[in-house]
Amino acid sequence: MNIRRFLSSSITIAEMEARKIRHDSTELWTRIIQPALWLLVFGETFNAIKAMPSGNFSYIQFITPGILAQSVLFISIFYGITVVWEKDVGIITKLLSTPSPRSSIVLGKSLAAGLRGAFQAIVIFALALLIGAKIRLDPIDVAGVFAVVILFAMCFSSLSMFLASYLKTRDRMMGIGQALTMPLFFASNAIYPISVMPIWLQYVSIANPLSYAVDAIRSMLLVGTYGNLLVDMLVLFLSTIVFLVLASMSIKKLLE
Amino acid sequence: MDTYHDDKYFMTFDSTVKMSDAIAIEANNLTKVYRDSIRAVDGISFSVRQGEIFGLLGPNGAGKTTTIKMIITLTKATSGTLHVFGIDVFKSPETVREMLGYVPQSISVDTDLTAYENLLIFSKLSYVNKKERNERIRNALEYMDLSSRADDIVKRYSGGMMRRLEIAQALVNRPKILLLDEPSIGLDPSSKKQVWKNIKQLNQEFGTTILITTHDMGEADELCDRIAIMSEGKIAILGTPLDLKRDVGGDIVTVNLAFTPPIMSLPKEIGNIVHNNEKSIQILTTNGEEAIPLIADFFRSHEIRVESISINKANLDDVFMKYAKRRLGDEMYKATRNTRRDFARRAR
Repeated sequence: MNIRRFLSSSITIAEMEARKIRHDSTELWTRIIQPALWLLVFGETFNAIKAMPSGNFSYIQFITPGILAQSVLFISIFYGITVVWEKDVGIITKLLSTPSPRSSIVLGKSLAAGLRGAFQAIVIFALALLIGAKIRLDPIDVAGVFAVVILFAMCFSSLSMFLASYLKTRDRMMGIGQALTMPLFFASNAIYPISVMPIWLQYVSIANPLSYAVDAIRSMLLVGTYGNLLVDMLVLFLSTIVFLVLASMSIKKLLE
Repeated sequence: MDTYHDDKYFMTFDSTVKMSDAIAIEANNLTKVYRDSIRAVDGISFSVRQGEIFGLLGPNGAGKTTTIKMIITLTKATSGTLHVFGIDVFKSPETVREMLGYVPQSISVDTDLTAYENLLIFSKLSYVNKKERNERIRNALEYMDLSSRADDIVKRYSGGMMRRLEIAQALVNRPKILLLDEPSIGLDPSSKKQVWKNIKQLNQEFGTTILITTHDMGEADELCDRIAIMSEGKIAILGTPLDLKRDVGGDIVTVNLAFTPPIMSLPKEIGNIVHNNEKSIQILTTNGEEAIPLIADFFRSHEIRVESISINKANLDDVFMKYAKRRLGDEMYKATRNTRRDFARRAR
C-alpha cells in the first residue's frame, strides 16, 4: 500500500465532510445545546451548592473539560449512524468502489468526526469564557486540547463504525449508542472525581477511554502539570489504533 | 497506473477500438453463496469483449447485481475465477478498481455536495493527476450536459440529472470498463433516452467497454451488443439480441381477409399458420417485414381480398419470459404468448 495515496485519500474523505458542513452547518449548531445545558444548568447549580469535592478548582472549572469530552463522545459514538445512512444512500458503496484502500476511507471518516469534535471544542471554549470559568489559555495547551479532542473523536467514531459494520441499521445504532454513552459518561471522571466513586466503579473507569481523555484535557486546561499526560495520550492513541484497525477490517460487512 | 488511461479519452474518435478481440472481463465458474446458503450466483462463465456493450438481464434476484459487485470487488466470490483485462480481481482488487467505473443501482452521489464537488472528491479518491483533474471534471460535466448546473447542490437535481452526474462521476478516472447497474431505473422516458444516448456515445466514441444490468428488455435491445439472461444465479442463454429473438420463433403477421377462405396451406418460405379465426389468420414468420409482400402476393394470386395486415414483432420480452422464468413452467410462457396474440387481435 502506497502511504502517500493512503493519506491523501483519508484527507479527501475529511475534506468531503468539511465541504458538507460548509454547505449546511445546522447540525453543528444544534449539537451545542446539550453541552451548553450541562454547563449552564447542571454546572452552575452544583457550583452554587458546592456538593462536589472538586479540589482546588470551582466545580464549573472542574466540569468544563468533562463536558467537552462528553460532547465529543456523543458526536463520535453516534458517528456510525451517519455511516449507516451513507450506506443506505449508496455513498459508502461508491467510496469503496474507488481505488482508494478501505482503511483510508475509515481513517478519513474518523478524521471527519475529529473535525466535528474540534468544532465542539471551539464552542465550549467560548461558552466557558462566557460564563467566566477560569481556564488556562496557553497556546500550546489549547493546541494539546484540540489534539486530544480529535484523537478521542477518532477513537470512538471508529468504534462506532466497527459496531455499525455488524449492526447495519440506524435503529440498532441508535440503541447501542444510547446504551454506551451513559455508562461511559457516568463511569468516568467527567462530572465527579474518580475518588468519590464506589470501588468497583473506580475499576470500570480505569478501563474507560473517556477518563483518560478528560484527565488529559483537565491537566492542560486547569492543572498545568502533566504527570499523567503521557499515559493518557498513550491509552487514547492505542485504543484509536485498535478501533481503526478493527473498523477497517469490518467495514466491508456493512454492505452485506 | 496511469498507463491504463488513454489520455485522449474525450478527444479521439477511434472506431477500430469497437469490438476488438481482447477480453475485458472473464468469469469462470463464478459462484457466490451467501451465508444463508442461497446460491446468488451459481457457477456462471462468460466473457465480455473489449469495446462491446454487454447486458446482464434477469428478474429481481437473478444474481445480476451480485455479479457486478464481485467485479467491482465489493463482495468476494465463494469460488471460481474472475479476471479484468487479465488481472485477477480477487488478488489485486485495488488495481482492478482503478480500471473500472461503477454506477450502482440506487442513486449514490452525495446530495449534500455540488456536482463539481462530487466529481472533485471522486477524482481525488481515484488518484487522478492533479494537473488534469479540473479539465477532466469539466469534460465529464460537459459530456453529461451538466456544465450549467455544476455548482448547484445535487439535492436540487432531478432524478435524470443525478443519474447523469453519477455516470460523469464514473468517467473522471477514465475507466476502461463501465459497470452500470440498472442505469435507467426510476427515470422518465425522456431522461431514459438521454442516458441511453450518453451510454451509446461513450461506447462508440471512446470504445469504453460497458457492462449493464437491467430487467428492461427495451433497454437491452436498444443498447446491448450481446445479452446474457440470468435466472436463479445461472446464465440461461447468451447471444446477440437478434439471435435471442430468433430463438423464440420470430414475428407474427396477422392478415384480415374480406371473407373466410377455403382451407389452404401457406408455402413454407412464408411461414406457418399458428392461428386461424375465420377471416383472421396469424402467421409465424422469421422476419415479418419481408414476409408481408409475400403474404400479400399469395392471397392476391388466390384471389382473396386482404383488408389489412398487421405485424407483431418478436421482442426480448418473449425471450425473457421463456428463459428467465422457465421454472414457472411452460404454462406461463404459453399464456404470455397467447396473451400477446389476443392483444394483437384486439389491436387490429
